[in-house]
Amino acid sequence: MNVERARLHRALNPRSVAVVGDKGPQYQWLSNLSEFSGNVYSVQLDEKEIPGIVEKGIQNFSSLNDIPEDVDLVICAVPRQVTPFIVADAVKKQAGGMAMFSSGFVETGEEIGAQLQDQIVSAARAGGLPLVGPNCMGVYNRRLGVKFMQGQEKGEGGDLSVISQSGTHGISLTAGAQALGIRVTRTISIGNAAVLNEADYLEYLRDDPETPVIVMYLEGVRDGRRFAALLRDVTRVKPVVIWRGGRTTAGSRAAQSHTASLASNDAIWGALMRQAGAISADSVEEALDAAQALVRLPRSDRRNLALIAMTGGQSVAITDQFARAGFGVPELSARSYERLSEFFVTIGGSYRNPFDAASTIGRETDNLAKILDILAGDPVIEGVAVEMQARDFDKSTERLDATIEVLKTYRERTGLPVVTLLPEGGIGAANPTMAVAARFHVGRAGFAVYPSFARGAAALGRVTDYWQWRSEVEA
Amino acid sequence: MADIIASARAQGRSLLTEVESKQLLADAGIPVALAHLATSQKRAVEVAAELGYPVVLKVVSADIAHKSDVGGVAVGLGDAKAVRKAFKDMMARVAEAAPDAHIDGVAVQSMAKQGIEVIVGATTDPQFGPVMMFGLGGVFVEVLKDVAFRIIPLEPRDARQMVREIKGLPILQGVRGQPPADIEALEALILSVSEFVAAHPEVAELDLNPVFAYEDGVIAVDARIVLAEPAGVPS
Repeated sequence: MNVERARLHRALNPRSVAVVGDKGPQYQWLSNLSEFSGNVYSVQLDEKEIPGIVEKGIQNFSSLNDIPEDVDLVICAVPRQVTPFIVADAVKKQAGGMAMFSSGFVETGEEIGAQLQDQIVSAARAGGLPLVGPNCMGVYNRRLGVKFMQGQEKGEGGDLSVISQSGTHGISLTAGAQALGIRVTRTISIGNAAVLNEADYLEYLRDDPETPVIVMYLEGVRDGRRFAALLRDVTRVKPVVIWRGGRTTAGSRAAQSHTASLASNDAIWGALMRQAGAISADSVEEALDAAQALVRLPRSDRRNLALIAMTGGQSVAITDQFARAGFGVPELSARSYERLSEFFVTIGGSYRNPFDAASTIGRETDNLAKILDILAGDPVIEGVAVEMQARDFDKSTERLDATIEVLKTYRERTGLPVVTLLPEGGIGAANPTMAVAARFHVGRAGFAVYPSFARGAAALGRVTDYWQWRSEVEA
Repeated sequence: MADIIASARAQGRSLLTEVESKQLLADAGIPVALAHLATSQKRAVEVAAELGYPVVLKVVSADIAHKSDVGGVAVGLGDAKAVRKAFKDMMARVAEAAPDAHIDGVAVQSMAKQGIEVIVGATTDPQFGPVMMFGLGGVFVEVLKDVAFRIIPLEPRDARQMVREIKGLPILQGVRGQPPADIEALEALILSVSEFVAAHPEVAELDLNPVFAYEDGVIAVDARIVLAEPAGVPS
């Protein structure tokens, strides 16, 4: 690591924050700290901006070094030409660290931008100052209420943390997870990653007890050797999902060997993902799909599922998708079939696995409870995927809640994965908006929930592959 | 090892000859069909007699990247007469096709019996440094690009996965009554090349192409090593 670990910890878990250069009318950085549990200070020299800051009840100073207590995190939002002075002040103040929102550095491709970045990087390194960014949204900490946008939640606990090279994707991964009821412990927007790089943050999150799952958005890495070695290490402790953007061919070059001519950037990234047991994603949806399965489902590398769909056509579709993702849809035991035959409506339905169950489940959940009770007692079944119905969800959540309770009972009893599916197609096709609303309801109730069989199957497949890999490397 | 690399660099070369490449690999315990440099027709016949027939002759020149393109390969030479004729004809063909190339001589090696052709290679990725590749040889690598990569250093499980990752795996397992390839020996070869490259940062690119895989054992029939530019010297 480029900086002292304890100091980075201080910056990422601050008890006091100073915002340098916030501007009205919104004062976005100070406003983002309205729920922060510690002290907030402002540093602003512009006379026009100061009254608005004071009005918010925040003490303003003309320099970081005038603040009467230790500052754990400096949020720097000044124009780029001022940044070297702020870094120098933060070093002198011995601040814990700095998140630099200011942009206009190497990313511009201009000489002046590169020079300024060099200047702040050498000053931060010399002063041992952990600098997040520049050109980034900074850090979000759920427990402490340090936010870089208003919608970020404050609260205890956490299910995953995000590292993102892009501010936008850091926001969308955080917001997308939250919408599904997943608690994001921290999000770090790393921007130009000039002082601290991807590997530094990954190493921090490896050792962070509040981070059970890591989700990353990366376009490239600065220190590939260290990153590759570290990733192999981290995935042995906790799952890492990596969404890689910017699949360019940069770096390919004239080669004198066959091997070199075939070693495309994509081929090598793919190799790293497999070698390290990281979970690869191609989009924000894929990243969140995998994250849900990691957060919501128990660790399992087993693949024999019971698939419960609502109609005959859907029972074929669900089987195709889960089989394609590497799952088995086995026959149940004779005893299970005997019990199912006692109540299952076989006219317009089937219980062979996959299940075509609408005629049996109907408007009641009792029969779903019976089916799940039988499946829970059948040793061949190692998890279930269930197509849910959003019908009448706009009028009342009662029916969906009853289904959720039945699924919870199965989950608690068996400890096996339960994947829920609220496809916009199938029987819900007539009212897709209801399916969307119902999905977030099911997600917030604590289930992995997907808008299509294909996405649910793919996510469970990726995550099952990971747990299988973990079992192999731990063996 | 240091001698071969140092002398190549002293001559301003980054491409090692086949003879040099194979010597380095053999010294590291990697199974190669050793090639012996013969600078004259007479010496070629002597080496062939020592190795036993049939033999293969290949032109040795740091200026020639693709030997077969200039008529620089002769295979299946069964006796001294065939070696003498092949040597003479090859020199004439190469002189015509590549008049500016400096010719060191010919490499004489035992003709390996045909096995399943695979390629094992290494190169240097700009982001991740040394990486390894494995695939089936010939059309599988040229056209279908059916290859697997891993970042060096490899663990045994990486070698196991590489061999099993390629779509052509059934060919290695034996199809249409063909004997299967020695997959354990392939994995061992991949791991020893990984170790070789990890131990020698001067190696920028390496191709063992083809490697013949037999029911029992494997052997690299051709080898090529490209050295990295020494630090501080612009390319």
